[in-house]
Amino acid sequence: MKILTTVKKVVDVELNIHVENGAIVEKGLQYVINAWDENAVEAAVQLKEAHKAETTLVSLGSGDNTDMIRKCYAMGIDNAIHIDDPALAKADSPTFAKVLQKVYEAGDYDLVIAGKQAQDTDAGQAGIMLGEFLGIPCVSNVIEIKVTDDTHIQVSRLGDAGTEIVDVTLPAVVTVSDSINEPRLPAMRGIMMAKKKKITVMDLAGLGTSFEEIGGTAPASEVVEFMPVQKRKGGQKFEGDPADITARVVQLLVNEAKVL
Amino acid sequence: MTNILVVADIKQGVLKGSTAELLSKARALGAATAAVAVGSNVADLAPQLAAAGSDTQYIVDDPSLEIFSAAPFAAAVVDAAKAFSADMVWFGFSETGKAAAPRVAVQLEAACATEIIDVTMDGDDLHIVRPAIANKVLQKVKINVPKLVAVVRAGAFEADPEVTGTENVVTLDPPEKDMAAVVKELISDASGEIDLADADIVVSVGRGAKDQAGVDLVKALADDLAAGFGSSRAMVDAGLMAHNKQVGQTGKIVAPSLYIAVGISGAIQHLAGMNGAKVILAVNKDPEAPIFNVADFGIVGNLFDVVPLLKEEIKKIRA
Ligand SMILES: Cc1cc2nc3c(=O)[nH]c(=O)nc-3n(C[C@H](O)[C@H](O)[C@H](O)COP(=O)(O)OP(=O)(O)OC[C@H]3O[C@@H](n4cnc5c(N)ncnc54)[C@H](O)[C@@H]3O)c2cc1C
Ligand SMILES: Nc1ncnc2c1ncn2[C@@H]1O[C@H](COP(=O)(O)O)[C@@H](O)[C@H]1O
Repeated sequence: MKILTTVKKVVDVELNIHVENGAIVEKGLQYVINAWDENAVEAAVQLKEAHKAETTLVSLGSGDNTDMIRKCYAMGIDNAIHIDDPALAKADSPTFAKVLQKVYEAGDYDLVIAGKQAQDTDAGQAGIMLGEFLGIPCVSNVIEIKVTDDTHIQVSRLGDAGTEIVDVTLPAVVTVSDSINEPRLPAMRGIMMAKKKKITVMDLAGLGTSFEEIGGTAPASEVVEFMPVQKRKGGQKFEGDPADITARVVQLLVNEAKVL
Repeated sequence: MTNILVVADIKQGVLKGSTAELLSKARALGAATAAVAVGSNVADLAPQLAAAGSDTQYIVDDPSLEIFSAAPFAAAVVDAAKAFSADMVWFGFSETGKAAAPRVAVQLEAACATEIIDVTMDGDDLHIVRPAIANKVLQKVKINVPKLVAVVRAGAFEADPEVTGTENVVTLDPPEKDMAAVVKELISDASGEIDLADADIVVSVGRGAKDQAGVDLVKALADDLAAGFGSSRAMVDAGLMAHNKQVGQTGKIVAPSLYIAVGISGAIQHLAGMNGAKVILAVNKDPEAPIFNVADFGIVGNLFDVVPLLKEEIKKIRA
């Protein structure tokens, strides 16, 4: 089985993010692997270990992705492709999905594992749209993947009514929830080996496409402005005798906040 | 005239409040409104959909739609959107909406926007506003194509009690089954408990409650308040709470009048699910816990002492 995992480098959401004049202030930002994509990598590596799958990751974007890709190599990914093109700096989910489609079509994959969403866009679209563009099934928000045979998997998906057990015919796309696994910390040996591995880097032309062809020049939607979030402020914090402070807080909830 | 189709949010046969919220907003924008109900035994919801503010009700009712499956659900919505010549299709915030919206957008050649909190129409200019980067910023997004498919974040719009529509039912043929992704079983979460998305008060339990006894203690507080009972991911990971109770970026987005966080540290991924609450009360033994930076009222203390006291005080005022 050949697996393609999609991995995006995103801004670290644990750090403070400042907005000025409608834009995000670059200074002080750090970039990390998208958390849900780390789950996707772990899921791919687990399938490799259990079923001898061959795992390839693809990352789209401009700039240096070496550290992130090495980390994924160290986790057990076999091959990596980086589509590095300045035109992709501000691409939206459908545009990325179109590029992923080209990457998929240039290989011979049975399964694509994507993250359920990217932490910078919080869109949750690219994986599902990739399935739609390719005309192959896609199951989103997956928390378990089991291989049935060479051409079928069974996945569990968290839906509104409960956990759906879905029989999927390959090739297919799944997007994974963080509940699917706990990504491993790479071992020293893996980290050393990862340094020697080659990364395939190409631009859109190298992939046999162009920004026009993937629809990037006329995006369906574009971010025109970033705005700061109205931050909640901490209110009154009470310390002291538990009975005393609890009674006071309940009074405040009744009389001041009027929510009880 | 803009035509807005609202996808009815139906759980266990019941129409959820978000549907009326979305229809009210659509009418406030001056749009022509329709609703589509997709499922099994959903035809009787038509009068409710009319009362909620739609002027046409598309019904796609078939036993094959009993259990959610993304491709046929999306196909049914696309059919209704085409029948209505919809300029916009709006989903309420749900896993159904998140799974279906990108598919519907591709099929309608529309733009797709998830977790939107506002829509503005200014002549031909259509903009939406949505949080991004784990709720740390807001984005204003310009829509460059004639059609938009959107998933509206919980709590974004309010239902106007004055709004009503008219009944005009259109029955559509059921979509084909998806033979490549067959849902063979649904392990149901239906528990008769209060749905977190609808609850006016939500009480959530975190790792501070430690074990089953701690969970039971906090649950008893939720029960006394007739509140929805939620959880942090730590308690789901520990197997103490069900997946569908998780509040946060990966779980449910809630916007109750009062959110009570008990033994929850306040990680950004958790906050992303509850910072739309009107009032937040936090109980945590660590005075430095980040949850206190967003809580309107904070009780620094051991939850095993504080929760029974809260129950007692609430009993007094309710007496
Ligand atoms: C991609 C991704 C998505 C995620 N999505 C979600 C999500 O949707 N929802 C979510 O909740 N998390 C999510 N998380 C996890 C999140 O980062 C935190 O790990 C999680 O929320 C922590 O849960 P907690 O606050 O219960 O536990 P902890 O962080 O361990 O906090 C426990 C708190 O309890 C307090 N405490 C301990 N004992 C007591 C006592 N006796 N009395 C009172 N207080 C006590 C402690 O002071 C502490 O503040 C996600 C993480 C990632 C990476
Ligand atoms: N630039 C990218 N490179 C690789 N994968 C991506 C990229 N953008 C999106 N994806 C994949 O698509 C998922 C959903 O992205 P989004 O639609 O932005 O939320 C991510 O979790 C990734 O797995």
